[in-house]
Amino acid sequence: MIATGAPASRAPAGWRPAAPSILRLWWIEFRRSPMPLILPLIAVLFWFDSYRPSASQAPLYPLVTFWNMGQGHTIIDFAPFVAGMAAWTGARDGRRGTGDLVAATARPRWVAQLATWAATTTWALAAYLVFVGVMFAAYAHRGVQGEPPWWWVAVGVTGVATFTAAGFALGVLIPNRFVAPIAAFAAFLAMALSSKIGFSDGSGWALILPTDSTGNFQQDSGIFYRYLPDLPIARMMFLAGITVAVLGLAGLPPAAGGRRLRMAAVGVTAAGLAATGAAVGLATTARLTPHGIDIPALHDAASDRLIAYTPVCAGSGIRVCLNPAYKSYLTDTTAALTAVARDVAGLPGAPVRAVQSPAAYSTGGQSGQPMTISGQPPVLSVPLGAYWFLPGNSGFNPPVPVQMYDQSIWLVFLQAFVGAGTGPGTPPEQAVRAALLQSMGVPFAAQNGLLADTYLTQALSAPASTPVYAAAKRLAALPDAARHAWLATHLVALRAGRLTLAQVP
Amino acid sequence: MNVELTDLRRRFGRTEAVAGVSLQAGPGVFGLLGPNGAGKTSLLRMMATVLAPSSGRMELLGRDPGDHADRREIRRRLGYLPQSLGYYPGFTVSEFVEYFALLKDMPPAKVPGAVASAVERCGLSDRARSKLRSLSGGMLRRVGIAQAIVNDPELLLLDEPTAGLDPEQRMAFRALLREIGGRATVVVSTHLVEDVGAACTEVTLMNQGKIVFHGTPAQLTARGEGSGAAGDAPLERGYSAVLSEARA
Repeated sequence: MIATGAPASRAPAGWRPAAPSILRLWWIEFRRSPMPLILPLIAVLFWFDSYRPSASQAPLYPLVTFWNMGQGHTIIDFAPFVAGMAAWTGARDGRRGTGDLVAATARPRWVAQLATWAATTTWALAAYLVFVGVMFAAYAHRGVQGEPPWWWVAVGVTGVATFTAAGFALGVLIPNRFVAPIAAFAAFLAMALSSKIGFSDGSGWALILPTDSTGNFQQDSGIFYRYLPDLPIARMMFLAGITVAVLGLAGLPPAAGGRRLRMAAVGVTAAGLAATGAAVGLATTARLTPHGIDIPALHDAASDRLIAYTPVCAGSGIRVCLNPAYKSYLTDTTAALTAVARDVAGLPGAPVRAVQSPAAYSTGGQSGQPMTISGQPPVLSVPLGAYWFLPGNSGFNPPVPVQMYDQSIWLVFLQAFVGAGTGPGTPPEQAVRAALLQSMGVPFAAQNGLLADTYLTQALSAPASTPVYAAAKRLAALPDAARHAWLATHLVALRAGRLTLAQVP
Repeated sequence: MNVELTDLRRRFGRTEAVAGVSLQAGPGVFGLLGPNGAGKTSLLRMMATVLAPSSGRMELLGRDPGDHADRREIRRRLGYLPQSLGYYPGFTVSEFVEYFALLKDMPPAKVPGAVASAVERCGLSDRARSKLRSLSGGMLRRVGIAQAIVNDPELLLLDEPTAGLDPEQRMAFRALLREIGGRATVVVSTHLVEDVGAACTEVTLMNQGKIVFHGTPAQLTARGEGSGAAGDAPLERGYSAVLSEARA
């Protein structure tokens, strides 16, 4: 019943102390935001698209997070849904017919709308952080090694905010019920386009796209060296610039507020666009270094320092020392290297120790980085992180059986031992490598397949020619002692490229 | 005077919805009557600073709504219930009223008490925590009234406020109007002539965008006496008589 009488001044039980108006607006909007309704759907997609594909990867952070962070799938999973829901919220006054009601209030509409956006975005960001947090907790439970890519999490957070802002602004500017699916589809299209460009264009402006993993998400990032923050910072600047610009756009219509406020919105939009443009400009100055993308204007030399670690070692014939992040590979790697080192023991340049070295990135991925042998006594440098054939989370299950791992290690070892470097090597080097592989139990008939499977370099994957195998068969046919003796006397000449195929016995 | 309108006009394309209205109003309850399309809602929307006039002069609460700073101050002291009340179905009654209290720039410390008071005065205390989607049409109308009065406005504009209210609620609402009208200017647009008779101190009748009558309810009643105009009540006959004259 409507009652008359003087307005009561008492507050009922349960009222909280007065908070600043804008915080109260945010709180009301936060409590009644429709964003949580869409989160279960995002969670399901996140599980299947971001988490599941990482489950079969080797337990190293740069590997398990390459797809979901490096290629931005966590953002892709969120973008269409949060953009659509934010657009739905932004279009609320148009859909609900509250335009006149809110227009007759004193607080500038733009300011109130920013509170609404902030509440909507809080849900989206909280969900993103929770989902990623749970995923990282699952990784930690699995024993995934290395440092999580926190910079990319920050990029993801910014990206989610960008999509909520873009959706919300669209809803404000086109306040009808169709704007939500339109915003969702536009976000999906933007991410699909970003992914396509990210796969095909690994330099220049395209690096600014959060789905472009080229050169900035590497095998040994967070293990031997830090994730370089240069590109993430530029990307956050890019995304934050878009966020600010589109929120500024929402303040431009006459209904948003007074002239002064709308002028401020113009300034905000311009500042956002300037930040976006500057970020794109920074991306075009990016250069690929062995440890990631370096943007000179943003680069901090401290980021280049290697992460200190105490290696874990095993083996007696050849002492094998690995980064503790690779501890799970120590036994298998030691076994593989011990077998092949035993076969060449006593020969010139035969390593007595193997030390893991950081993988270095180059255009085209991690391939192309060989083992090297140097020093006296000779030490084998093993860039284990550069090899794609590491066993997965559950060990040597298909598609990486232990035999394949051993043979791949032998091949790369022997490539270094004969001095072939990163190329295919000379025909005599190929022949000696093939003969030694055969003596390790890899039949000639299987070697071309192994070369192709290993594809450390394009050159290495090229199958050896028939004359090479003819020479290799001659060498392999020799008794072990005779082959050993020939190698002892000819290895130096072989590595120097002074032998011909005809000189192979 | 809280409201001073001089030759106010509003045009929508070729249609002149408000065609030169001049009006002055101080504290009290003013009824705005007229047939559909008379221009009542357009006039109220202009007075609510939602719609800019095409021409003419308007002063509300001693300020010029054309000036941004003045308009903001007017809106702080304004209560407005549109004809078609939009609402956010997920909000509770209290949240909705509080939301508008905050939008009206009320001092944060005063908001909780003002919300509780507005909710109570509209008879919604027992539904304060109910979601708006769960309320009946009449209750929603009361929520609309609650948000309009939450800032204790000096100018209260109500467009069809009693639509959907049951007779008991309507009587209570009229009492509320009279009470608010004791210190503020209340403009009530309605089709229900009995509301005007019971609650209003003055009545304005509009037809085709123009004011065709302005006076007290008693004067309007007098216009119908002996005119043979249609109507079940004296005030209705006055209303019909004035309209017939205007149309003639």
